[in-house]
Amino acid sequence: MGLALTGTAALGVCDWAATTGNPPLQTGDWAFVVGNWEVLLLGTLVTVLLTATSLALGFLAGFPAGTVEVYGTGRLRDAVSTAGVLLRGTPVVVLIVLFFFGLPIPRLLTLPVLDVRLDVFLAATLALGFRSAAYQSQVFRGAIQSIDEGQLAAARSVGMTQRQAIRHVVFPQAVRRSIPGFQNEFTIVLKDTSVAFAIGLAELLTRAENLYLQPGRDTAIMEVILAISAIYFVLTFTTNRTIDYLGDAYAIPGGDE
Amino acid sequence: MTLLELEGVRKSYEDEDVLRGVSFAMDRQDVEVIVGPSGSGKSTLLRCVNRLTEIDDGAIYLDGEEIHGIDENDLRRRVGMVFQDFNLFAHRTARGNVTLGLTAVLGLSKPEAVERADDYLDRVGLADQADSYPAELSGGQKQRVGIARALAMDPELILFDEPTSALDPELIGEVLGVMRDLAEGGTTMLCVTHEMGFARSAASTLTFLDDGRVVERGPPEQLFENPREDRTRSFLGQLTDLER
Repeated sequence: MGLALTGTAALGVCDWAATTGNPPLQTGDWAFVVGNWEVLLLGTLVTVLLTATSLALGFLAGFPAGTVEVYGTGRLRDAVSTAGVLLRGTPVVVLIVLFFFGLPIPRLLTLPVLDVRLDVFLAATLALGFRSAAYQSQVFRGAIQSIDEGQLAAARSVGMTQRQAIRHVVFPQAVRRSIPGFQNEFTIVLKDTSVAFAIGLAELLTRAENLYLQPGRDTAIMEVILAISAIYFVLTFTTNRTIDYLGDAYAIPGGDE
Repeated sequence: MTLLELEGVRKSYEDEDVLRGVSFAMDRQDVEVIVGPSGSGKSTLLRCVNRLTEIDDGAIYLDGEEIHGIDENDLRRRVGMVFQDFNLFAHRTARGNVTLGLTAVLGLSKPEAVERADDYLDRVGLADQADSYPAELSGGQKQRVGIARALAMDPELILFDEPTSALDPELIGEVLGVMRDLAEGGTTMLCVTHEMGFARSAASTLTFLDDGRVVERGPPEQLFENPREDRTRSFLGQLTDLER
């Protein structure tokens, strides 16, 4: 059995080589990576774009959700926290497949240059975005709850409405305290865009796979994977540093109370 | 002329009766000082006056009007509050702490609010700290910002909830100094404090609250020198001993 498999595999490689005319490359296939830089660049662009749209959706839905979990009442609050539990309790690959096949998204145009189908991109954004919202809501909820109640009482005591007090006193401080949690979330979303390969979205991992799955290119798997690992790392590292810098620039002088 | 009147105010939390029928009245420009052991309901009483806490029974009148008939935000605009723990807005400068209420509640323009804030910060001796953030200020300075923040709203009455209790001893004087100036300037003040020196010299009326009831009330000299109740004598005696 084992022998038969080996034999078939070996035969397969030989066949590929014969049909494409490319001899199988053995080691040090970095030239292949470099030669396909455009493919990886396009994949990186799609990854960055998907991260941006997902995080933006995550923020736009997560910030209000966190606020509702702290200040909301009744059914709205119950609905929000249940949605959060469901989204956080489902594997992201399952979510992305569920959103793609489950939502009635009509087939849309394909973006030029990036070669990405808009409906696939939309499904991926919705899945990653709402899941991120479920996590971001917890970051904001924690940050809001960490603001000393006394400040709210002080704001109410000069005659501010609850809404004004939250807007002028609680939010500006809560957003600052959310930065470390948000950084975490950014890193997770960026890396999780790779699961969009499950619905065939041409992001970085999908394109990388397409490269080494070409006939005779299975020798370059490690090189391609290492290259995209480095790309993911550079993206997370530089963005985290940028957020660190912004966090410092907007920190409250003298530190938090 | 009566500004604030409490009539049989009651408040309980679950099984605990915190206020058991408190009644008194104070005039404009009065400095009413409330003293009493911890847990006697002093802070709760103050919070009932600006409705941070709602009473269970009784009535509270501000300038003749029952406060539950007044919009709570309007009421709080007319009744300022200074807190034990300062409760400054940590993300705003001293000036920003004062201007926020002016712009958000009174609708002043930014330049008007800044001018007014600087004026009040100057009155509490903090003109040079207007750009400092709370974390950069000492406890005494923070509390003076808290007082300026309340004053700038131009309230009819200011509630002081143990304004010096969270301060290091050497910083108490600067806050009491500001409060004395206000008292002399005719600000109507309702103060909960353990500062007997201030009670004695600045209060127009002293109220001894114990176990949710007014035990004794009168001019401070009378309560200190000639209390009618033994409980008043022993409580004030203890506190005055501490000061020596």
